[in-house]
Amino acid sequence: MELFSQRLVDGLSQGSVYSLIALGLVIIYRGTGHLNFAQGEMALFSAYCVYQFGEWGIPIWPALGLGMIVGFVLGAVAEVTLVRPISKKSPFAVFIVTLGLFTFLNWLDGAIFGNQQLPNSGVGSKQQRYPSLFPNDPEDVWQPFGVAIRIERVGIFVLVLVITGLLFLLFNKTRFGLAMRAVASNTESAKLAGIRTNTVLMVSWGLAAAIGAVGGVVMAGLNSNVNLGLMFTVFIYGSAAATLGGFDSPGGAVLGGLIIGVIENMASGYAQEWIGQDMKLSVAFVVILTVLLVKPSGLFGTGKVERV
Amino acid sequence: MTLLKATGLSAGYGPVTVLQRIDLEVQQGEFVVMLGANGAGKTTAMRAISGLIARSGTVVFEGVDIHRASADAIVRAGIAQVPQGRGTFPELSVEDNLLAGAYIRHGSDDVLSDMERWYGVFPRLAERRLQRAGSLSGGEQQMLAIARALMSRPKLLLCDEPSLGLAPLITQELFAVLERLNRDDGLSVLLVEQNANLAMHIANRVYLLETGVIVASGSAEELGADDAIRKAYLGF
Repeated sequence: MELFSQRLVDGLSQGSVYSLIALGLVIIYRGTGHLNFAQGEMALFSAYCVYQFGEWGIPIWPALGLGMIVGFVLGAVAEVTLVRPISKKSPFAVFIVTLGLFTFLNWLDGAIFGNQQLPNSGVGSKQQRYPSLFPNDPEDVWQPFGVAIRIERVGIFVLVLVITGLLFLLFNKTRFGLAMRAVASNTESAKLAGIRTNTVLMVSWGLAAAIGAVGGVVMAGLNSNVNLGLMFTVFIYGSAAATLGGFDSPGGAVLGGLIIGVIENMASGYAQEWIGQDMKLSVAFVVILTVLLVKPSGLFGTGKVERV
Repeated sequence: MTLLKATGLSAGYGPVTVLQRIDLEVQQGEFVVMLGANGAGKTTAMRAISGLIARSGTVVFEGVDIHRASADAIVRAGIAQVPQGRGTFPELSVEDNLLAGAYIRHGSDDVLSDMERWYGVFPRLAERRLQRAGSLSGGEQQMLAIARALMSRPKLLLCDEPSLGLAPLITQELFAVLERLNRDDGLSVLLVEQNANLAMHIANRVYLLETGVIVASGSAEELGADDAIRKAYLGF
Protein backbone atom coordinates (compact mmCIF):
# COMPACT_ATOMS: atom_id res chain seq x y z
CA MET A 1 0.00 0.00 0.00
CA GLU A 2 2.78 2.37 0.91
CA LEU A 3 4.62 1.53 -2.27
CA PHE A 4 1.45 2.09 -4.26
CA SER A 5 0.84 5.49 -2.66
CA GLN A 6 4.38 6.56 -3.29
CA ARG A 7 4.21 5.47 -6.90
CA LEU A 8 0.94 7.33 -7.24
CA VAL A 9 2.40 10.54 -5.81
CA ASP A 10 5.57 10.16 -7.84
CA GLY A 11 3.44 9.58 -10.92
CA LEU A 12 1.31 12.65 -10.23
CA SER A 13 4.30 14.95 -9.76
CA GLN A 14 6.08 13.51 -12.79
CA GLY A 15 2.83 13.80 -14.71
CA SER A 16 2.55 17.43 -13.62
CA VAL A 17 5.56 18.21 -15.80
CA TYR A 18 3.90 16.48 -18.75
CA SER A 19 0.74 18.47 -18.03
CA LEU A 20 2.64 21.74 -18.23
CA ILE A 21 4.23 20.83 -21.55
CA ALA A 22 0.88 19.55 -22.85
CA LEU A 23 -0.82 22.79 -21.77
CA GLY A 24 1.65 24.77 -23.85
CA LEU A 25 1.06 22.51 -26.83
CA VAL A 26 -2.70 22.87 -26.49
CA ILE A 27 -2.63 26.67 -26.18
CA ILE A 28 -0.63 26.94 -29.39
CA TYR A 29 -2.65 24.29 -31.19
CA ARG A 30 -5.92 26.01 -30.32
CA GLY A 31 -4.64 29.34 -31.55
CA THR A 32 -3.00 28.38 -34.80
CA GLY A 33 -3.53 24.67 -35.37
CA HIS A 34 0.22 24.07 -35.19
CA LEU A 35 2.04 21.42 -33.21
CA ASN A 36 5.02 23.19 -31.66
CA PHE A 37 7.88 20.71 -31.69
CA ALA A 38 10.09 23.22 -29.90
CA GLN A 39 7.85 23.36 -26.82
CA GLY A 40 10.18 21.20 -24.76
CA GLU A 41 13.32 23.00 -25.90
CA MET A 42 11.83 26.41 -25.15
CA ALA A 43 11.19 25.11 -21.64
CA LEU A 44 14.76 23.85 -21.47
CA PHE A 45 16.16 27.24 -22.41
CA SER A 46 14.18 28.83 -19.59
CA ALA A 47 15.33 26.10 -17.21
CA TYR A 48 18.97 26.89 -18.05
CA CYS A 49 18.31 30.59 -17.52
CA VAL A 50 16.76 29.91 -14.12
CA TYR A 51 19.85 27.93 -13.17
CA GLN A 52 22.00 30.86 -14.22
CA PHE A 53 19.87 33.26 -12.17
CA GLY A 54 20.51 30.95 -9.22
CA GLU A 55 24.24 31.20 -9.83
CA TRP A 56 23.85 34.96 -9.59
CA GLY A 57 22.25 34.50 -6.20
CA ILE A 58 18.62 35.02 -7.13
CA PRO A 59 16.28 32.81 -5.02
CA ILE A 60 14.36 30.16 -6.90
CA TRP A 61 10.86 31.68 -6.94
CA PRO A 62 11.89 35.10 -8.31
CA ALA A 63 14.22 33.23 -10.67
CA LEU A 64 11.24 31.19 -11.87
CA GLY A 65 9.34 34.42 -12.50
CA LEU A 66 12.24 35.76 -14.56
CA GLY A 67 12.49 32.42 -16.37
CA MET A 68 8.82 32.65 -17.29
CA ILE A 69 9.40 36.13 -18.67
CA VAL A 70 12.34 34.81 -20.71
CA GLY A 71 10.06 32.01 -21.95
CA PHE A 72 7.27 34.44 -22.80
CA VAL A 73 9.60 36.65 -24.84
CA LEU A 74 11.12 33.62 -26.57
CA GLY A 75 7.70 32.25 -27.54
CA ALA A 76 6.36 35.62 -28.67
CA VAL A 77 9.46 36.40 -30.74
CA ALA A 78 9.36 32.94 -32.34
CA GLU A 79 5.74 33.47 -33.34
CA VAL A 80 6.30 36.94 -34.81
CA THR A 81 9.58 36.32 -36.60
CA LEU A 82 9.30 32.68 -37.69
CA VAL A 83 5.87 31.14 -37.44
CA ARG A 84 3.73 34.00 -38.71
CA PRO A 85 5.65 34.81 -41.91
CA ILE A 86 6.07 31.12 -42.75
CA SER A 87 2.49 30.09 -42.07
CA LYS A 88 1.29 32.69 -44.57
CA LYS A 89 3.27 30.88 -47.23
CA SER A 90 2.58 27.31 -46.21
CA PRO A 91 0.99 25.99 -43.02
CA PHE A 92 2.87 22.73 -43.42
CA ALA A 93 6.20 24.52 -43.41
CA VAL A 94 5.53 25.66 -39.83
CA PHE A 95 5.98 22.05 -38.81
CA ILE A 96 9.50 22.14 -40.23
CA VAL A 97 10.17 25.54 -38.68
CA THR A 98 9.32 24.33 -35.18
CA LEU A 99 11.55 21.31 -35.76
CA GLY A 100 14.30 23.68 -36.80
CA LEU A 101 13.69 25.77 -33.70
CA PHE A 102 13.98 22.57 -31.66
CA THR A 103 17.49 21.84 -32.92
CA PHE A 104 18.52 25.49 -32.87
CA LEU A 105 17.53 26.00 -29.24
CA ASN A 106 19.28 22.80 -28.20
CA TRP A 107 22.43 23.97 -29.97
CA LEU A 108 22.07 27.42 -28.38
CA ASP A 109 21.79 25.92 -24.89
CA GLY A 110 24.95 23.95 -25.52
CA ALA A 111 26.78 26.98 -26.89
CA ILE A 112 25.85 29.18 -23.93
CA PHE A 113 25.78 26.78 -21.02
CA GLY A 114 28.06 23.96 -22.18
CA ASN A 115 27.44 20.29 -22.88
CA GLN A 116 27.91 19.13 -19.31
CA GLN A 117 25.01 18.79 -16.96
CA LEU A 118 24.57 21.65 -14.50
CA PRO A 119 25.38 22.00 -11.67
CA ASN A 120 28.68 20.46 -12.51
CA SER A 121 31.13 20.27 -9.62
CA GLY A 122 33.95 20.36 -12.15
CA VAL A 123 33.21 23.94 -13.18
CA GLY A 124 32.66 25.12 -9.63
CA SER A 125 28.94 25.76 -9.57
CA LYS A 126 27.79 27.65 -6.51
CA GLN A 127 24.66 25.53 -6.35
CA GLN A 128 24.96 21.94 -5.14
CA ARG A 129 22.01 20.84 -7.19
CA TYR A 130 19.38 22.36 -9.46
CA PRO A 131 17.20 24.49 -7.19
CA SER A 132 13.89 22.97 -6.21
CA LEU A 133 10.74 25.05 -5.85
CA PHE A 134 9.78 23.16 -2.71
CA PRO A 135 11.69 21.73 0.27
CA ASN A 136 13.30 18.52 -0.94
CA ASP A 137 15.78 17.41 1.68
CA PRO A 138 15.41 13.79 2.76
CA GLU A 139 13.65 14.86 5.96
CA ASP A 140 11.08 17.02 4.13
CA VAL A 141 8.43 14.36 4.28
CA TRP A 142 4.77 14.57 5.03
CA GLN A 143 3.11 11.55 6.68
CA PRO A 144 -0.65 11.84 6.44
CA PHE A 145 -1.70 8.17 6.94
CA GLY A 146 1.56 6.61 7.86
CA VAL A 147 2.57 6.90 4.23
CA ALA A 148 5.69 8.95 3.67
CA ILE A 149 5.13 11.50 0.93
CA ARG A 150 7.78 13.98 -0.09
CA ILE A 151 6.63 17.56 0.26
CA GLU A 152 8.29 18.49 -3.03
CA ARG A 153 6.03 16.04 -4.89
CA VAL A 154 2.85 17.38 -3.33
CA GLY A 155 3.98 20.96 -3.94
CA ILE A 156 4.53 20.34 -7.64
CA PHE A 157 1.11 18.76 -7.99
CA VAL A 158 -0.57 21.69 -6.23
CA LEU A 159 1.40 24.17 -8.34
CA VAL A 160 0.06 22.59 -11.52
CA LEU A 161 -3.48 22.68 -10.18
CA VAL A 162 -3.07 26.38 -9.38
CA ILE A 163 -1.71 27.14 -12.86
CA THR A 164 -4.58 25.19 -14.41
CA GLY A 165 -7.09 27.13 -12.33
CA LEU A 166 -5.56 30.47 -13.31
CA LEU A 167 -5.63 29.46 -16.98
CA PHE A 168 -9.26 28.45 -16.64
CA LEU A 169 -10.06 31.90 -15.26
CA LEU A 170 -8.03 33.54 -18.02
CA PHE A 171 -9.83 31.62 -20.77
CA ASN A 172 -13.34 31.87 -19.41
CA LYS A 173 -13.57 35.01 -17.32
CA THR A 174 -11.45 37.60 -19.10
CA ARG A 175 -11.86 39.61 -22.24
CA PHE A 176 -8.51 38.45 -23.53
CA GLY A 177 -9.51 34.83 -22.89
CA LEU A 178 -12.65 35.35 -24.93
CA ALA A 179 -10.49 36.74 -27.73
CA MET A 180 -8.23 33.68 -27.51
CA ARG A 181 -11.20 31.33 -27.72
CA ALA A 182 -12.67 33.33 -30.60
CA VAL A 183 -9.41 33.18 -32.56
CA ALA A 184 -9.17 29.44 -31.88
CA SER A 185 -12.71 28.94 -33.15
CA ASN A 186 -12.69 31.13 -36.27
CA THR A 187 -9.80 33.48 -36.98
CA GLU A 188 -11.53 35.37 -39.75
CA SER A 189 -14.64 36.04 -37.72
CA ALA A 190 -12.41 37.11 -34.84
CA LYS A 191 -10.91 39.76 -37.12
CA LEU A 192 -14.41 40.81 -38.11
CA ALA A 193 -15.24 41.26 -34.43
CA GLY A 194 -12.38 43.73 -34.15
CA ILE A 195 -10.00 41.36 -32.34
CA ARG A 196 -6.32 41.96 -33.05
CA THR A 197 -5.67 38.35 -33.98
CA ASN A 198 -1.92 38.87 -34.46
CA THR A 199 -1.57 40.10 -30.90
CA VAL A 200 -3.61 37.18 -29.62
CA LEU A 201 -1.40 34.67 -31.42
CA MET A 202 1.79 36.34 -30.23
CA VAL A 203 0.61 36.30 -26.63
CA SER A 204 -0.59 32.68 -26.99
CA TRP A 205 2.89 31.55 -27.99
CA GLY A 206 4.40 33.61 -25.21
CA LEU A 207 1.99 32.17 -22.68
CA ALA A 208 2.63 28.62 -23.87
CA ALA A 209 6.38 29.08 -23.51
CA ALA A 210 6.01 30.72 -20.08
CA ILE A 211 3.99 27.76 -18.82
CA GLY A 212 6.52 25.45 -20.42
CA ALA A 213 9.23 27.28 -18.47
CA VAL A 214 7.59 26.18 -15.23
CA GLY A 215 7.59 22.62 -16.59
CA GLY A 216 11.28 22.85 -17.44
CA VAL A 217 12.24 24.18 -14.01
CA VAL A 218 10.14 21.58 -12.20
CA MET A 219 11.63 18.80 -14.34
CA ALA A 220 15.19 19.99 -13.72
CA GLY A 221 14.39 20.23 -10.00
CA LEU A 222 13.11 16.65 -9.90
CA ASN A 223 16.17 15.59 -11.84
CA SER A 224 18.52 17.63 -9.59
CA ASN A 225 20.32 18.92 -12.67
CA VAL A 226 19.70 20.35 -16.10
CA ASN A 227 21.21 18.86 -19.23
CA LEU A 228 20.70 19.07 -22.97
CA GLY A 229 18.63 15.89 -23.18
CA LEU A 230 16.38 16.73 -20.24
CA MET A 231 13.26 17.59 -22.20
CA PHE A 232 13.39 15.05 -25.04
CA THR A 233 11.35 12.38 -23.35
CA VAL A 234 9.30 14.94 -21.44
CA PHE A 235 8.18 16.41 -24.75
CA ILE A 236 7.15 12.98 -26.02
CA TYR A 237 5.18 12.30 -22.85
CA GLY A 238 3.70 15.80 -23.06
CA SER A 239 2.54 15.11 -26.63
CA ALA A 240 1.03 11.85 -25.48
CA ALA A 241 -0.75 13.75 -22.70
CA ALA A 242 -2.18 16.29 -25.13
CA THR A 243 -3.29 13.49 -27.45
CA LEU A 244 -4.92 11.65 -24.58
CA GLY A 245 -6.70 14.71 -23.20
CA GLY A 246 -7.64 16.16 -26.56
CA PHE A 247 -5.49 18.64 -28.40
CA ASP A 248 -7.97 21.47 -28.00
CA SER A 249 -8.77 20.96 -24.33
CA PRO A 250 -6.55 22.59 -21.67
CA GLY A 251 -8.26 20.66 -18.86
CA GLY A 252 -7.84 17.46 -20.84
CA ALA A 253 -4.15 18.17 -21.31
CA VAL A 254 -3.61 18.48 -17.57
CA LEU A 255 -5.55 15.33 -16.79
CA GLY A 256 -3.83 13.53 -19.66
CA GLY A 257 -0.43 14.47 -18.24
CA LEU A 258 -1.32 13.22 -14.78
CA ILE A 259 -2.72 9.95 -16.14
CA ILE A 260 0.37 9.33 -18.23
CA GLY A 261 2.66 10.15 -15.32
CA VAL A 262 0.84 7.64 -13.13
CA ILE A 263 0.72 4.95 -15.84
CA GLU A 264 4.43 5.45 -16.50
CA ASN A 265 5.36 5.05 -12.84
CA MET A 266 3.02 2.13 -12.22
CA ALA A 267 4.12 0.31 -15.35
CA SER A 268 7.81 0.66 -14.68
CA GLY A 269 7.29 -0.09 -10.98
CA TYR A 270 5.01 -3.11 -11.13
CA ALA A 271 6.14 -4.60 -14.40
CA GLN A 272 9.80 -4.03 -13.78
CA GLU A 273 11.00 -7.18 -15.51
CA TRP A 274 9.61 -6.45 -18.91
CA ILE A 275 9.07 -2.68 -18.93
CA GLY A 276 11.57 -1.32 -16.43
CA GLN A 277 13.40 1.88 -17.17
CA ASP A 278 14.38 1.11 -20.75
CA MET A 279 10.90 0.45 -22.06
CA LYS A 280 9.21 3.28 -20.15
CA LEU A 281 8.99 5.51 -23.17
CA SER A 282 7.04 2.93 -25.12
CA VAL A 283 4.24 3.42 -22.60
CA ALA A 284 3.70 6.87 -24.11
CA PHE A 285 3.51 5.45 -27.61
CA VAL A 286 1.06 2.76 -26.56
CA VAL A 287 -1.14 5.48 -25.06
CA ILE A 288 -0.94 7.64 -28.21
CA LEU A 289 -1.76 4.69 -30.47
CA THR A 290 -4.65 3.50 -28.33
CA VAL A 291 -6.19 6.96 -28.13
CA LEU A 292 -5.84 7.54 -31.86
CA LEU A 293 -7.55 4.21 -32.56
CA VAL A 294 -10.34 4.41 -29.99
CA LYS A 295 -11.11 8.10 -29.61
CA PRO A 296 -9.06 10.25 -31.99
CA SER A 297 -10.26 13.54 -30.51
CA GLY A 298 -9.01 12.53 -27.06
CA LEU A 299 -10.88 12.27 -23.78
CA PHE A 300 -12.08 15.88 -23.72
CA GLY A 301 -11.35 17.10 -27.21
CA THR A 302 -14.22 18.28 -29.34
CA GLY A 303 -14.63 16.39 -32.55
CA LYS A 304 -15.64 18.82 -35.21
CA VAL A 305 -19.42 18.70 -35.10
CA GLU A 306 -21.08 21.44 -37.04
CA ARG A 307 -24.44 21.87 -38.63
CA VAL A 308 -24.61 23.88 -41.78
CA MET B 1 -24.15 62.52 -46.27
CA THR B 2 -21.87 59.97 -47.82
CA LEU B 3 -20.94 57.28 -45.31
CA LEU B 4 -18.86 54.99 -47.49
CA LYS B 5 -17.29 55.82 -50.81
CA ALA B 6 -15.11 53.37 -52.70
CA THR B 7 -13.31 54.61 -55.80
CA GLY B 8 -11.45 52.41 -58.28
CA LEU B 9 -11.60 49.52 -55.84
CA SER B 10 -9.76 46.44 -57.13
CA ALA B 11 -9.09 43.21 -55.30
CA GLY B 12 -8.47 39.56 -55.93
CA TYR B 13 -6.69 36.47 -54.78
CA GLY B 14 -3.02 36.05 -55.56
CA PRO B 15 -2.45 36.75 -59.24
CA VAL B 16 -6.17 36.76 -60.04
CA THR B 17 -7.93 40.12 -59.99
CA VAL B 18 -11.63 39.58 -59.39
CA LEU B 19 -12.86 43.05 -58.71
CA GLN B 20 -11.91 45.58 -61.36
CA ARG B 21 -11.91 49.21 -60.33
CA ILE B 22 -15.46 49.52 -59.08
CA ASP B 23 -16.93 52.72 -57.67
CA LEU B 24 -19.63 52.48 -55.06
CA GLU B 25 -21.07 54.51 -52.26
CA VAL B 26 -23.48 54.22 -49.39
CA GLN B 27 -25.26 57.26 -48.01
CA GLN B 28 -26.00 57.68 -44.34
CA GLY B 29 -29.13 55.66 -43.51
CA GLU B 30 -29.29 54.03 -46.92
CA PHE B 31 -30.08 50.40 -47.73
CA VAL B 32 -27.94 49.47 -50.71
CA VAL B 33 -28.10 46.12 -52.45
CA MET B 34 -25.47 44.70 -54.74
CA LEU B 35 -26.82 42.08 -57.09
CA GLY B 36 -24.82 39.70 -59.17
CA ALA B 37 -24.55 36.12 -60.29
CA ASN B 38 -22.23 33.53 -58.82
CA GLY B 39 -18.63 34.56 -59.33
CA ALA B 40 -19.45 38.18 -60.16
CA GLY B 41 -17.19 39.37 -57.35
CA LYS B 42 -19.77 40.30 -54.71
CA THR B 43 -18.04 38.54 -51.84
CA THR B 44 -14.68 39.89 -52.99
CA ALA B 45 -16.13 43.41 -52.86
CA MET B 46 -17.32 42.86 -49.30
CA ARG B 47 -14.02 41.39 -48.17
CA ALA B 48 -12.15 44.24 -49.85
CA ILE B 49 -14.21 46.83 -47.96
CA SER B 50 -13.90 45.09 -44.60
CA GLY B 51 -10.15 44.65 -45.04
CA LEU B 52 -9.97 40.86 -45.09
CA ILE B 53 -8.09 40.86 -48.40
CA ALA B 54 -5.53 43.14 -50.01
CA ARG B 55 -7.03 45.82 -52.20
CA SER B 56 -6.16 48.89 -54.20
CA GLY B 57 -8.08 52.07 -54.88
CA THR B 58 -9.53 54.21 -52.13
CA VAL B 59 -12.18 53.41 -49.57
CA VAL B 60 -13.32 56.44 -47.61
CA PHE B 61 -15.47 55.88 -44.57
CA GLU B 62 -16.78 58.95 -42.74
CA GLY B 63 -14.18 61.04 -44.51
CA VAL B 64 -11.24 58.81 -43.55
CA ASP B 65 -9.38 56.66 -46.07
CA ILE B 66 -9.42 53.11 -44.69
CA HIS B 67 -8.09 51.17 -47.65
CA ARG B 68 -4.84 50.43 -45.84
CA ALA B 69 -6.44 49.74 -42.46
CA SER B 70 -6.49 46.21 -41.03
CA ALA B 71 -9.74 44.32 -40.64
CA ASP B 72 -9.91 44.82 -36.88
CA ALA B 73 -9.28 48.57 -37.23
CA ILE B 74 -12.09 48.81 -39.78
CA VAL B 75 -14.47 47.20 -37.29
CA ARG B 76 -13.46 49.79 -34.72
CA ALA B 77 -14.10 52.50 -37.31
CA GLY B 78 -17.72 51.29 -37.46
CA ILE B 79 -18.09 48.76 -40.27
CA ALA B 80 -19.30 45.30 -39.29
CA GLN B 81 -19.46 42.43 -41.74
CA VAL B 82 -21.64 39.35 -41.67
CA PRO B 83 -19.49 37.10 -43.83
CA GLN B 84 -20.81 34.58 -46.28
CA GLY B 85 -21.40 31.19 -44.73
CA ARG B 86 -22.43 32.42 -41.26
CA GLY B 87 -19.13 33.39 -39.69
CA THR B 88 -19.95 32.48 -36.12
CA PHE B 89 -17.63 30.92 -33.55
CA PRO B 90 -18.88 27.30 -33.65
CA GLU B 91 -17.14 26.16 -30.45
CA LEU B 92 -18.36 29.13 -28.42
CA SER B 93 -21.77 29.47 -26.81
CA VAL B 94 -24.34 31.80 -28.33
CA GLU B 95 -23.73 34.19 -25.46
CA ASP B 96 -19.95 34.17 -25.91
CA ASN B 97 -20.45 34.77 -29.64
CA LEU B 98 -22.37 37.93 -28.82
CA LEU B 99 -19.82 39.02 -26.22
CA ALA B 100 -17.05 38.51 -28.76
CA GLY B 101 -19.08 40.65 -31.15
CA ALA B 102 -18.95 43.44 -28.56
CA TYR B 103 -15.21 42.98 -28.13
CA ILE B 104 -14.38 46.52 -29.26
CA ARG B 105 -16.82 48.02 -26.77
CA HIS B 106 -15.19 46.73 -23.61
CA GLY B 107 -16.03 48.44 -20.40
CA SER B 108 -19.32 49.63 -21.82
CA ASP B 109 -22.28 49.02 -19.50
CA ASP B 110 -24.85 48.67 -22.21
CA VAL B 111 -23.33 45.56 -23.78
CA LEU B 112 -25.67 43.39 -21.73
CA SER B 113 -28.73 45.49 -22.57
CA ASP B 114 -27.77 45.29 -26.25
CA MET B 115 -27.55 41.53 -25.88
CA GLU B 116 -31.05 41.43 -24.42
CA ARG B 117 -32.25 43.59 -27.28
CA TRP B 118 -31.01 41.16 -29.95
CA TYR B 119 -32.37 38.24 -27.94
CA GLY B 120 -35.68 40.07 -28.18
CA VAL B 121 -35.33 40.41 -31.95
CA PHE B 122 -34.21 36.78 -32.32
CA PRO B 123 -36.01 34.87 -29.54
CA ARG B 124 -34.63 31.57 -30.76
CA LEU B 125 -31.14 32.74 -29.86
CA ALA B 126 -32.33 33.53 -26.36
CA GLU B 127 -33.60 29.97 -25.97
CA ARG B 128 -30.21 28.65 -27.02
CA ARG B 129 -27.96 31.15 -25.30
CA LEU B 130 -25.80 28.53 -23.59
CA GLN B 131 -25.71 26.16 -26.55
CA ARG B 132 -22.67 25.97 -28.77
CA ALA B 133 -23.12 28.00 -31.94
CA GLY B 134 -22.03 25.05 -34.10
CA SER B 135 -25.07 23.09 -32.95
CA LEU B 136 -27.56 25.69 -34.18
CA SER B 137 -29.51 25.29 -37.40
CA GLY B 138 -28.43 27.24 -40.46
CA GLY B 139 -31.07 29.90 -39.94
CA GLU B 140 -30.22 30.32 -36.28
CA GLN B 141 -26.53 30.61 -37.11
CA GLN B 142 -27.30 33.34 -39.62
CA MET B 143 -29.34 35.18 -36.99
CA LEU B 144 -26.44 34.80 -34.60
CA ALA B 145 -23.98 36.10 -37.19
CA ILE B 146 -26.13 39.19 -37.73
CA ALA B 147 -26.63 39.74 -34.00
CA ARG B 148 -22.89 39.28 -33.44
CA ALA B 149 -22.14 41.97 -36.03
CA LEU B 150 -24.72 44.31 -34.48
CA MET B 151 -23.13 43.90 -31.04
CA SER B 152 -20.25 46.09 -32.25
CA ARG B 153 -22.80 48.92 -32.79
CA PRO B 154 -21.75 49.47 -36.40
CA LYS B 155 -22.61 52.51 -38.46
CA LEU B 156 -22.53 50.38 -41.57
CA LEU B 157 -23.53 46.72 -41.76
CA LEU B 158 -22.16 44.62 -44.59
CA CYS B 159 -24.23 41.49 -45.23
CA ASP B 160 -22.86 38.87 -47.56
CA GLU B 161 -25.65 36.75 -49.00
CA PRO B 162 -27.56 36.04 -45.82
CA SER B 163 -30.13 33.99 -47.74
CA LEU B 164 -27.57 31.37 -48.77
CA GLY B 165 -28.82 27.91 -47.90
CA LEU B 166 -31.81 29.11 -45.90
CA ALA B 167 -35.49 28.29 -46.23
CA PRO B 168 -37.42 31.10 -47.98
CA LEU B 169 -39.47 31.79 -44.87
CA ILE B 170 -36.38 32.30 -42.73
CA THR B 171 -34.81 34.49 -45.37
CA GLN B 172 -37.91 36.69 -45.35
CA GLU B 173 -37.75 36.90 -41.57
CA LEU B 174 -34.11 37.98 -41.68
CA PHE B 175 -34.74 40.57 -44.38
CA ALA B 176 -37.64 41.97 -42.37
CA VAL B 177 -35.30 42.42 -39.41
CA LEU B 178 -32.70 44.18 -41.56
CA GLU B 179 -35.36 46.42 -43.05
CA ARG B 180 -36.63 47.36 -39.58
CA LEU B 181 -33.13 48.14 -38.36
CA ASN B 182 -32.57 50.36 -41.37
CA ARG B 183 -35.90 52.15 -41.05
CA ASP B 184 -36.15 52.50 -37.25
CA ASP B 185 -32.52 52.76 -36.17
CA GLY B 186 -31.14 54.43 -39.26
CA LEU B 187 -28.58 51.66 -39.67
CA SER B 188 -26.90 51.87 -43.06
CA VAL B 189 -26.77 48.53 -44.84
CA LEU B 190 -24.84 47.23 -47.81
CA LEU B 191 -26.22 43.83 -48.72
CA VAL B 192 -25.01 41.44 -51.37
CA GLU B 193 -27.51 39.03 -52.87
CA GLN B 194 -28.36 36.66 -55.65
CA ASN B 195 -31.94 36.60 -54.48
CA ALA B 196 -32.95 39.72 -56.38
CA ASN B 197 -36.69 39.68 -55.80
CA LEU B 198 -36.53 39.95 -52.08
CA ALA B 199 -33.59 42.32 -52.00
CA MET B 200 -35.05 44.77 -54.54
CA HIS B 201 -38.06 45.35 -52.31
CA ILE B 202 -36.11 46.83 -49.47
CA ALA B 203 -33.30 48.49 -51.39
CA ASN B 204 -33.01 52.26 -51.75
CA ARG B 205 -30.40 51.77 -54.37
CA VAL B 206 -29.05 48.82 -56.34
CA TYR B 207 -25.72 48.03 -57.95
CA LEU B 208 -25.45 45.34 -60.55
CA LEU B 209 -22.12 43.53 -60.62
CA GLU B 210 -20.99 41.37 -63.53
CA THR B 211 -17.56 39.72 -63.71
CA GLY B 212 -16.00 42.24 -61.38
CA VAL B 213 -17.46 45.35 -63.01
CA ILE B 214 -20.51 47.41 -62.06
CA VAL B 215 -22.72 47.34 -65.13
CA ALA B 216 -25.72 49.23 -63.82
CA SER B 217 -26.82 51.19 -60.79
CA GLY B 218 -29.82 53.19 -59.73
CA SER B 219 -32.92 53.05 -57.59
CA ALA B 220 -34.76 49.77 -57.30
CA GLU B 221 -37.58 51.20 -59.43
CA GLU B 222 -35.24 52.32 -62.20
CA LEU B 223 -33.51 48.98 -62.46
CA GLY B 224 -36.79 47.08 -62.12
CA ALA B 225 -38.15 49.07 -65.04
CA ASP B 226 -35.28 48.07 -67.30
CA ASP B 227 -36.44 45.10 -69.35
CA ALA B 228 -33.06 43.52 -69.91
CA ILE B 229 -32.14 43.71 -66.23
CA ARG B 230 -35.51 42.44 -65.14
CA LYS B 231 -35.23 39.41 -67.38
CA ALA B 232 -31.68 38.63 -66.38
CA TYR B 233 -31.94 39.10 -62.63
CA LEU B 234 -35.57 39.10 -61.61
CA GLY B 235 -36.80 36.38 -63.92
CA PHE B 236 -40.09 37.95 -64.93
